[in-house]
Amino acid sequence: MAELSRNIRELKSILYGNGEQEPVTEACVQLTQEFFRENTLRLLIICLPKLNLETRKDATQVVANLQRQQVSSRIVASEYLESNKDLLDILISGYENMDIALHYGAMLRECIRHQSIARYVLESEHMKKFFDYIQLPNFDIASDASATFKELLTRHKATVAEFLSKNYDWFFQEFNSRLLSSTNYITKRQAIKILMVMCFSFQLLGDMLLDRSNSAVMMRYVSSKDNLMILMNLLRDSSKNIQIEAFHVFKLFAANKNKPPEVVNILVTNRSKLLRFFAGFKIDKEDEQFEADKEQVIKEISGL
Amino acid sequence: MSGCDSEVKYPLNAESYRLLFKIGSGASAVVYKALCLPLGSAVVAIKAIDLERSRANLDDVWREAKAMTLLSHSNVLRAHCSFTVGSHLWVVMPFMGAGSLHSILTHGFADGLPEPCIALVLKDTLRALCYLHEQGRIHRDIKAGNILVDADGSVKLADFGVSASIYESETSSMHAPSAPVLSSSSYFSDLAGTPYWMAPEVIHSHVGYGIKADIWSFGITALELAHGRPPLSHLPPSKSMVMRITSRVRLEDAEMISRRRKKFSKAFRDMVSSCLCQEPARRPSAEKLLRHPFFKGCRSNNDYLVRNVLVAVPGIEERCNKDTNNLCGCAGRGARCVSSCCHTNVAKNRRISGWNFNEDNFELDPTDDGNDEQRCRFPFVKNDLVERTSNNSTGGECEGSQTRRRERIIGVKEVVIPQLMTILESLEMQLGMVMHVLECGGFHVNDSGCGRAPAREEREEMLLCYVRQLEQRVEELTTQVDKEIARNGRLEAQLQARVNVKNINPSQTSGSIS
Repeated sequence: MAELSRNIRELKSILYGNGEQEPVTEACVQLTQEFFRENTLRLLIICLPKLNLETRKDATQVVANLQRQQVSSRIVASEYLESNKDLLDILISGYENMDIALHYGAMLRECIRHQSIARYVLESEHMKKFFDYIQLPNFDIASDASATFKELLTRHKATVAEFLSKNYDWFFQEFNSRLLSSTNYITKRQAIKILMVMCFSFQLLGDMLLDRSNSAVMMRYVSSKDNLMILMNLLRDSSKNIQIEAFHVFKLFAANKNKPPEVVNILVTNRSKLLRFFAGFKIDKEDEQFEADKEQVIKEISGL
Repeated sequence: MSGCDSEVKYPLNAESYRLLFKIGSGASAVVYKALCLPLGSAVVAIKAIDLERSRANLDDVWREAKAMTLLSHSNVLRAHCSFTVGSHLWVVMPFMGAGSLHSILTHGFADGLPEPCIALVLKDTLRALCYLHEQGRIHRDIKAGNILVDADGSVKLADFGVSASIYESETSSMHAPSAPVLSSSSYFSDLAGTPYWMAPEVIHSHVGYGIKADIWSFGITALELAHGRPPLSHLPPSKSMVMRITSRVRLEDAEMISRRRKKFSKAFRDMVSSCLCQEPARRPSAEKLLRHPFFKGCRSNNDYLVRNVLVAVPGIEERCNKDTNNLCGCAGRGARCVSSCCHTNVAKNRRISGWNFNEDNFELDPTDDGNDEQRCRFPFVKNDLVERTSNNSTGGECEGSQTRRRERIIGVKEVVIPQLMTILESLEMQLGMVMHVLECGGFHVNDSGCGRAPAREEREEMLLCYVRQLEQRVEELTTQVDKEIARNGRLEAQLQARVNVKNINPSQTSGSIS
């Protein structure tokens, strides 16, 4: 076991260099090739629970680094994982084991940098499990799962757009009922953050590609009365942080140029309350963008 | 959590713990002594961090909590587990019975620890630093207050973790959703996303500076342990401080201390000055420092610490009672009490590797404005004195009221004495300034022979070294700020470019906010 630990540390120092020496490209290439040819990744992942803490960390660093190594401008890791997708199933199930969750989680986030792998996870049944993992009582692990979830839903935008357009109904049903409407502070806070980042990434996607089909999911989201109601409830959450992040999503509902009648209806019915709320809605430090957004929202709502 | 599987599992809910009393507090966190009921009422420390008040964003809190779980070294305080209770994060940690070295200094060694004890605790601290640096982590807040001692004399470095103190300089991406959200998401995943796993070469370029900053703080901590307070701690942390440092007020002050107090070995002075080298690159690494002669003869015997230090200080419970005259009784109510009822002196201390140069004064005087300090302290003290004398002179009505009054006098004494001490301290400082001025003017008031001159020169050089050090740091920070500004500029330009594209095709983007 001690020898195994030494070997893994050795791999690490080849990939990362040690204090004095920079890593040598040729050595990294060779290591990458042999590592994936020999199925070492599978071994490392499966045996990780048997390693001691320091060696687990080394192994995780090795796996993370290998995801980015290129051999004649091909990313070998991506190709390997595509034909070994069951490894991802193992990594994801790591969230159910407190002892290895953080190591598997870190490896998993590196693996989903590959678009095809992210697509596999998005389209797998595992996506549903994340709604449980995010609510695990252990803060470290729940946060890790939440970070992975956020990464899955924002990194490869076109893939996410496709996933959401196919899975819109169940996904937002779960997201709204289990996360955003949770009574648990941390669950709500993590969820609204993920939603905010998602909205922003889609908004950006729409702008960059000038292709409305990609922001269709967004349009659908901000045209829903149910979504609006949940966001409005979050606006009056007792947590200021949740209020602020909810506002950044709420403003998209207000800015929507094609608001369906039911959305307009809710906004008009609550107009005076909303305006009163925004009048007193301040954040601690000066933020011009926030004030500008608020002005815009107030204008939109008053003009309805 | 992710250590050995045979490890005891601590429960992840508030009901399993009983908070006993508060043993420390900061801007957005309170630390309690507590019992873990299902584990046979095992004693633990629980740090309750208010996630609403903490300026850090959740990702940062998570990263640090994760680090605390994944670090495993006998001289590093490791978290048993962490979970949320409402909007508070509870981090369950081992309870360190003798408290921090800062508290030990305050409650028994106001003039500093004996040198062999300093060597002992610093050696353990260095071992922890070695481990952290090898793991690519920087502590950023090395100080006596973060070095904890257990009742058996074992020493652990703490608070590299979830302490809110180290997040102050972070950009709060949660408030501004436009650029920061984008940059934060890509930043986190590409670079800092898992700093724990970051490549050594990345670490070396990104935090190489930080590693050496830890060494600098380590040097200051050594002085803090030697003198009972960090150097320059009598000055307010305002701009005028820099002025006063450059005018070398402290030289006189240090001189007085060294004259009045003990002598330190050459090995100690050499070790400290190597840490306080102006050039970060020339400061030794933690590993190299461990091999320094100062730590050679150091007995690795925790008993020594127990017999020589711990016996001389009151237990932590007693200390806490003494500290918290305004005890709010919040321990019973759980983490909800974090708000206004706690001391805020720790809060003032949250700069990166920030030495609170005025910690002692903060405890006594709520104003942190250097100029007001003198003015408001005097009347405050005078009133107390008046009250006290009038109480004495009109004494003798009935027994009951006398007892009450006596109690009150004791209370007043507790307020007055520290304030008198502060005044004394500031008078000493002024004396130092006057002496300095006189000496500069060629009046050799203190001219009791030239034998002291070499020692003086040495000290002077050492202190000049700090000054240069601080200047260097300011410079480094300025460069950092400049870089940030440049980066902001670039991001704004990008944003502008996007807006322009949008303006060309307004019909395409009707769904998004403009």
